Amino acid sequence: MAEPVSVYIHAAAALGPCLDTCAAERTRLAADPPPAELKELTRKVVGAPLRQASHLIELAAIGSQLCLKRLPWPAPENTAVYVGTGLAEVRKTHAVFNQVMPPGPGMASPFDFINAANNMAAFYVAKLGNFRARNLTVTQEEFSFERTLQLALTDLRAGCYHQALVGGMDENSQPRSNHLRRFPLCDDQIMGEGSGWLYLGTRREQARAELLTVRHGARGADAASLLADTVRAWLHGSEPVVLLPGFRLDKTEIARLATALPGLEMRDYLAHCGCFHTAAAFGIGALFDHTWPKPTLIVHINRDGAGGLMLVALRLFASNESDSDRVTP
Amino acid sequence: MPAIRIRGLGLVSAYGIGVERAVQGLRAGKPGITPLTLFALPFQDQIQVNQFDHAPFPPGEAGAPAILEAAVREALSTAALDTLDLRSAALVVGTSGYLFAAEAEYRRQYVADRPAPTPALRAPGYFAQRVAQDLGIDGPVLTLSTACSSSANALLVAADLIRRGDVTRALVLGIEGLSAVALTGFHSLMLLDPQGCRPFDAQRRGMQLGEADGAVLLEAENDAMPAGDTLLGGANLCDIHHVTSATPDGSAMRAVMEMALADAGLRPEEIGVIKAHGTGSLDNDTAEAAAMRALFGDALPIFTGIKRYLGHTLGACGVVELAAFLGCLRAGFIPPTAGFSAADPELRVTPLTDFRPAAKGPVMLNTFGFGGNYASLVIAHG
Repeated sequence: MAEPVSVYIHAAAALGPCLDTCAAERTRLAADPPPAELKELTRKVVGAPLRQASHLIELAAIGSQLCLKRLPWPAPENTAVYVGTGLAEVRKTHAVFNQVMPPGPGMASPFDFINAANNMAAFYVAKLGNFRARNLTVTQEEFSFERTLQLALTDLRAGCYHQALVGGMDENSQPRSNHLRRFPLCDDQIMGEGSGWLYLGTRREQARAELLTVRHGARGADAASLLADTVRAWLHGSEPVVLLPGFRLDKTEIARLATALPGLEMRDYLAHCGCFHTAAAFGIGALFDHTWPKPTLIVHINRDGAGGLMLVALRLFASNESDSDRVTP
Repeated sequence: MPAIRIRGLGLVSAYGIGVERAVQGLRAGKPGITPLTLFALPFQDQIQVNQFDHAPFPPGEAGAPAILEAAVREALSTAALDTLDLRSAALVVGTSGYLFAAEAEYRRQYVADRPAPTPALRAPGYFAQRVAQDLGIDGPVLTLSTACSSSANALLVAADLIRRGDVTRALVLGIEGLSAVALTGFHSLMLLDPQGCRPFDAQRRGMQLGEADGAVLLEAENDAMPAGDTLLGGANLCDIHHVTSATPDGSAMRAVMEMALADAGLRPEEIGVIKAHGTGSLDNDTAEAAAMRALFGDALPIFTGIKRYLGHTLGACGVVELAAFLGCLRAGFIPPTAGFSAADPELRVTPLTDFRPAAKGPVMLNTFGFGGNYASLVIAHG
């Protein structure tokens, strides 16, 4: 039987709700962030304005381009693109709906209509990266990023592609009361948005991390057991283990997880990006803001509304250079 | 790796409930064009649509799951399975979204004269989770939203899940309803032909939208299965030429067809018939014709377009047209291209204009969408 193909992370980027793209710019959110205007940052990162692009497309364009700029080599044309988005085009969908439905004027604006297509962000990612390969948009509210990452991982392991750009992004809609109609949050949960991107490949050279597994746990599965199983399967020696808890884990469950393994370090990335369906993409992408003196096992866990679990595990390699050291916009 | 058997098909279309109803319509050469009665539009008299009969289904948002259930029930019944057999299956949905359901609910409330109805704008994944719960599916649940190629991509992803041993069975759904947003959007882009879809015709002016829900049950083939249709392979890629129009020389469409053939392990000359995407729009048909000419050369197999029969069902068309087309092949015929009357000299190809008997063997099904998202499938009709 052939050895399973290893999949590595060669570059990453995370764009937060305060236009933050690297560690120095991250802000600890105390309340819902103000609406972000991305036009200028888009121009800076992409090199030209995307005149007809929606906010969601801008989130994708900035994040994906930052990730590609941090890649040590030019990404080849046959890079597959996988995009996960929980709610997809919230603002443009709302705009065309209001234009068309009574008492609106009754006709959709052509640009708003085109941008309301849920795969437009993936098109822009491919166009800006000059990628003419597989291009999939997964949009299913819960676990949209995790399922997307799983698809990419299995495609790479099956040898369909040797490299893939995988991202997750979601936009919020103001005011909060509007947003809550689509995405229920508790009062103490901050309404977030952002994007996170990983460039995956099957070659080991210059990799920053190895993507180990993306696993699903059935409804009601015990997160602590899943975590323990994963650590048992993947831990090398005495390397540190860092847990990133997702936004659907409640405080009691997080507390249980914190004590499930001795020496487990917790990282509250949600404090920087707020809550959104694909926040995991931000949380994982932002890990690469930092240098990691020792190889470190990272585990991200989240639940969905029905109680199912998704777990992502990766090993960060020791490095003395963070991704944001390499390129800042 | 196991071959992928197409075990069950289900369809609700403008012809009614069931694949057989659609096959009867196509066999009669009668397009399923209907009046648009769901809602009023300022340009109502300038478009053709394929709307299904909503009378058997509940009004508003509740209608959509009921229509889908009819398609799923048929797919299960033709596969001789019941919902308990889906417990460990994957559910993969392809749709451009559920604006049609939100619109229906909004209209229901608006007509009822409620103050300021709240649009129930659902994310594309909302339905999939609900269907999975209703059917008791515990396997992977995925929703692909890649414009008109959504459900063709859903078939490809489901096939991959089976090939890689993640599941042995997958239910793939294509869901699309007529929506005022889509009709006005395409009208604004001047992409609707007032005379309806005329694929590859010299006078073609655009599309004709339709609504349909389709269900396809895929399963890993085993020795106990009798002969049947198998999904041999397929491919998806992105044409980065433009958000709404194809690379004019058809090179990106050719590439996805070539990739699909390679995935299926076939040469171009082994394809017996092509179900073209054939939207009737100037750009699509020009590029698709160029792509077929370039790939197949002088040995271009017969090809047909079926969008005048069913309407362009956008995100659902991959599954919907597969169900209808395979239904026709199983019934022994290849339907001609409704709406075509005069060849376009610039295209240098002519689609099928008369009924032909269906032979066993490989067929290709093309699906191309906005955002340059293309998918091509290769099926062995057995």
